[in-house]
Amino acid sequence: MKIWGTGLLNGLRISMRNMRRGPITMQYPFEKYELPERARWTVVPLYDADGVPVCTACMTCVKTCPDHVLALDFTTNEDRSKHINHFSYQLGACMMCGLCVEACPFTAIAMSHDYELARTDPATLEYDLLADVAAYKPKRDKPATPAPVTPTESAPQSEPPAAQGGDAS
Amino acid sequence: MNMILVASLRVIAALGLMLLNGVVLIYMLRKVLGHLHVRLGPMNVGWHGVLQTLNDVLKLLTKEDPTPTNVDKVLYFMAPAIVFVPSLAAYAALPFSKTWAISNLATGLLFTFAIMSLVPLGVLMAGWSSSNKWSLLGGMRAVGQQIAYEVPLLLSALPIVLMVGSLNLNDIVAAQDRVWFFIPQFPALLLFFIAALVELNQTPFDMSEAESELVAGFASEYSAMKFGLLFLSEFSNMFVMAALIVTLFFGGWSLPFVPAEMLTPIGPPVIFMIKTYLIIFCFMWIRGTFPRVRVDQLQQLGWKVLLPANLVWLFVTGLAVKVIEAVAR
Repeated sequence: MKIWGTGLLNGLRISMRNMRRGPITMQYPFEKYELPERARWTVVPLYDADGVPVCTACMTCVKTCPDHVLALDFTTNEDRSKHINHFSYQLGACMMCGLCVEACPFTAIAMSHDYELARTDPATLEYDLLADVAAYKPKRDKPATPAPVTPTESAPQSEPPAAQGGDAS
Repeated sequence: MNMILVASLRVIAALGLMLLNGVVLIYMLRKVLGHLHVRLGPMNVGWHGVLQTLNDVLKLLTKEDPTPTNVDKVLYFMAPAIVFVPSLAAYAALPFSKTWAISNLATGLLFTFAIMSLVPLGVLMAGWSSSNKWSLLGGMRAVGQQIAYEVPLLLSALPIVLMVGSLNLNDIVAAQDRVWFFIPQFPALLLFFIAALVELNQTPFDMSEAESELVAGFASEYSAMKFGLLFLSEFSNMFVMAALIVTLFFGGWSLPFVPAEMLTPIGPPVIFMIKTYLIIFCFMWIRGTFPRVRVDQLQQLGWKVLLPANLVWLFVTGLAVKVIEAVAR
């Protein structure tokens, strides 16, 4: 049989244990948590060592974005190089899924750790990541050459896989 | 020296003590509750928020004080004073040391209980005159529980009076020079503690405020310093009740095994304050731990448990006192 009042004493014991444990409050504006490395917040453009944006205007991120928050407006020059007029980003609609960064073939954008995103002016929720810059041309040591075309007739006939079936079993 | 001057100086000293207590206790309450809940409490005004309550008082003083249209004006304006004055007067009989008391009353215990039982009157006035159903409910609940628990409160102090044979609080402290009364009178301490919590509207029994149900209970329609007075007297009552517990059960300003001569002149009041604040910490500890009981549960506890238990313990104590007297003779 339980003695009447033990539950009350146990409650007091628990709250005193909590008191001795010390507060777990993080006083936010004064102290901040260190974000984990893979935390995903706003999308930011990346630059190479010379400070030139790495974006090639390939449009992969724009096509990948499920919320259509990225838009890229570019013009193609005479020499077929591209010029980025606006690479715009709707912060207010972005859900920080990171698919654009995963899709980018040149690592030209990244998810930043900038999480203090409150705005006083709704107009600032949409802004340009890049504006009026030349699209990047990936530097290559030698010009890309197409793979050598091998004539199918002269190529040695590879053995059909069925012939090796006996060894496998 | 002029008697009136001395008397008014004493009143001012009591007032100062009361205001200081209010400020310190509100800060302490917020800090203790915070830490019990693994929070920090106020942190930003001053070092660890020590100036927070001062700022709150300044805010209350400078705040606009709107009066609702339909209130009963006379009662509405009188209620904070009626609540405040008894809780100030209750400081009169508290013995801070053998000589430090506002007045040395032969019936100190009776006086303190009598003056404290005026508080529900002001609370009911506040609740009734506000013409607000939450205020009225809060006021009625406060009166219901405070008047109901006057009986267990007085009955649980009676065994001490039986043992000492005096109502003078100084005599009661002096009678505890060998053993503090909480050892022979432990059941009385428990009963007194519970009844004191109810009298103070402390959290397991705070139906009269019940933030989640009644906004702020009887104080809903009050603002600025009128609310401040209601609030302050609540904390002052807490101090008085804790001081009574210390005086009745924990040897008042005395320390065990230490002769009183060694402590004079500043020791006894300091010891008294420390003990009182420890009891207040227990109040806050309970406040930070238990949920509120229902009104009917409260009345059941009062009339069906505390009252019979008190009567039984009073009978046992009386018997023991008589038996010990007979044996000693």
